[in-house]
Amino acid sequence: MTPRVVTGVGVVSALGIGRAAFFEAMRAGTRAADDARPIETFDASRYAGGGPRAAEVRGFDATRYLGDKGLRSLDRLTKLLVVGARLALHDAGLKRDGAWVEPPGDAATRPWTDRVGLVVSNAYGSLEAIHELYRVAVLEDARYINPSRFPLTVSNTAAGYVSIWEDLHALNVTVSDGNCGALDAVACADVLLDDARADVLLVGGAEALSEPLFLALHRLGTLGADGTCVGEGAALLALELPEGASARGAQPLAEVVGYGTAFVPPDHPATLFHAAPEPLQRAIESALADARVRAQDVDVVVSGISGLRVFDEAELLAIDRSALDDACVVAPKWALGETLGAGGAMGMLSAIAYLREGARSHVVRGTLRSEVRTALVTSTGYYGNASALVMRASSR
Amino acid sequence: MLSRVFVTGVGVVSSIGLGREAFFRALEAGTSGISPVESFDASRLGRARAGEVKGFDARDHLSTAEQRLAGRCSAMALAAARMAVADAGLDATKLAAPRTAVILGTTMGEARILEELDHQWIVGGESAVTRARIPRYGSTLLPIHVARAVGARGMVLTLPAACAAGNYAIGFAADFIRAGRADVVVTGAAELLEELQYSGFVRLAAMAPERCQPFDLNRQGLLLGEGAGLLVLESEAHATRRGARLQAEVGGYGLSCDGYHITRPHPDAAGSIVAMRAAIERSGITPAQVDFVNAHGTGTKHNDVAETKVVREVFGDQRVPVSSMKSMLGHCMGAASALEAIGCVMTIETGVYPPTIGYETPDPECDMDVVANVARRGKADVVINNALAFGGYNAVTVFARPGVLPPPRKAERRPA
Repeated sequence: MTPRVVTGVGVVSALGIGRAAFFEAMRAGTRAADDARPIETFDASRYAGGGPRAAEVRGFDATRYLGDKGLRSLDRLTKLLVVGARLALHDAGLKRDGAWVEPPGDAATRPWTDRVGLVVSNAYGSLEAIHELYRVAVLEDARYINPSRFPLTVSNTAAGYVSIWEDLHALNVTVSDGNCGALDAVACADVLLDDARADVLLVGGAEALSEPLFLALHRLGTLGADGTCVGEGAALLALELPEGASARGAQPLAEVVGYGTAFVPPDHPATLFHAAPEPLQRAIESALADARVRAQDVDVVVSGISGLRVFDEAELLAIDRSALDDACVVAPKWALGETLGAGGAMGMLSAIAYLREGARSHVVRGTLRSEVRTALVTSTGYYGNASALVMRASSR
Repeated sequence: MLSRVFVTGVGVVSSIGLGREAFFRALEAGTSGISPVESFDASRLGRARAGEVKGFDARDHLSTAEQRLAGRCSAMALAAARMAVADAGLDATKLAAPRTAVILGTTMGEARILEELDHQWIVGGESAVTRARIPRYGSTLLPIHVARAVGARGMVLTLPAACAAGNYAIGFAADFIRAGRADVVVTGAAELLEELQYSGFVRLAAMAPERCQPFDLNRQGLLLGEGAGLLVLESEAHATRRGARLQAEVGGYGLSCDGYHITRPHPDAAGSIVAMRAAIERSGITPAQVDFVNAHGTGTKHNDVAETKVVREVFGDQRVPVSSMKSMLGHCMGAASALEAIGCVMTIETGVYPPTIGYETPDPECDMDVVANVARRGKADVVINNALAFGGYNAVTVFARPGVLPPPRKAERRPA
């Protein structure tokens, strides 16, 4: 792919809200996923097994960022995403104090509102809103479901609200590919930027913690000491062409230079889950080829390792088979939990932390080189899907 | 140079027929797929009709293992994919390649599985939730099931873009091929009728009691539908190398977001106008070359007036024939624009403009050349497919007779 530059980030995560807090926590090696405090979002005390955990965005108060008005019809997913988008627009220097900055150039300049779009990944939609409406339908009557909450039942509504709140009139795309979605969002953004459909795209993902999500993972037995810790949050990166960034005087934080994805089904037709190295191995090979980067030049693999043993092993095997055995492998999900649709975006943000912010923690194996120039971000899906992305430190 | 992209196969599961032949015949005949809802009890809601797919038996299309793993939405997608691949003269051995992708739209995917799980939880507590059913929920699974069936080994992606999802998927799939990232993409969309969604549209006071009558003065709203429309898109090189029949060329597409209201269209329809103009411009043609517009045409007061503004603004005095297949199919939500895209392919192949049935009294606020009640024959070199969804999601695609459009060109970045 043609190199794209990241000129700003917006993040609402268990490690903190905003770029500074996120990078500081990554430098400090903080692990929100180890937080033993009770879950805030819902009453989890009934879930036996002692101390159910989640990497929550604790004390998240959207009114601090969005004001008091108009929040009542929004769910947690939408609030996380709108705040993330607002922070990214400000961090990228496209907005100041809530208003668009003047675009560079003469009077013929098109306003930013027509030139900035959104490509965001989400895996499961607003289970919070869906469950809330089902409860009314089952326990009371479907005739009483709240029509203002009904649009939240489709998973692109959160992104739709970003366009309304942040005044973005260029394209607005939601993608869904489980925990690979946020890396796939970059592939979509790459094509859309190439097509001149927008000049800047906010790219990333969002997922919200809710009791139905927690319950599903709990019932599947994926949570706890031998499993993963469910997380949540929104992470968005402002992606644009290098020439566009330099024309408006924006300083790149990193470059995105290659993408690959692959699907390999399980051998047995009756199996749905598929933990195997082949999909990710192919995705890595194709991402490295796309980036014209050799395996030995990768300094850090920002993996999707999350604590689910069979998938973690598959991911490590794929990394080994891709001749990346010299690279240091890190697992930001140890800190952030499994944020599903946002996972790849949290991975990209973590990659920036390793590339330029001095992060050195969450190492699975190997040693970080003193200079980290090239990062490979990987995601392994549950069904035989996998994606990989190559990022580079910006030449300063 | 950018590759041209062609439709080489289509597959349909719809309320008016299974498979391309039955679907085309029903569209031409103006057949209504609307009937009393049978899959759940809608009687208390005050509305009880929809374009439900009847006579679709997953056992006719899916293996035993597939039937066990796939929910109804995936089953419809999978069946339609098999039909599309067969129609294209392809099979899994020819498609088993990293450069075959599956990109599908939907709004809620396996909503019924979620409904069932949620019901178990609400009524019986967490231990009542069937563990084995949990992994079968998730819109992520739609393209996974299809990729497994057709042998695709490349990107598997869902684009949930509300009721414009089909056009989002088809437009992006074509772009993905043009950009050289894939040779073949199995694309389209699937949606099933589900109680919560049905109730929600009733609560929004958007649903008609009996009929969906787009552009009619006395229209009373939309009716929901369901189904799956899948298309095989292929690069020119891949299609010509194997001597595939080129059914239609996929032209440019336009996207925009109103950023105005989560359920109402922008009163000026500015975003939709941008999307429609972009689709035409990116196809390298002018509005004068457009022969037929398949409207979004939901049959709600707001949508049809706003859409008329779009068509009048883009086409000026040119009276381009306009029709809405939703009068027959109902609004199949995410699948709507995919099924309608297949209708557009039919129009190009046969020169038949499908009618808007139930059109009785023209609405002066929808003053367009509506193809009223009976199919019309006419020139069908270039056809436009509108999708103007909730949330201000606008996506417009162009389909053309092979050989009509100029070669695709790299879009020029407009001066900032």
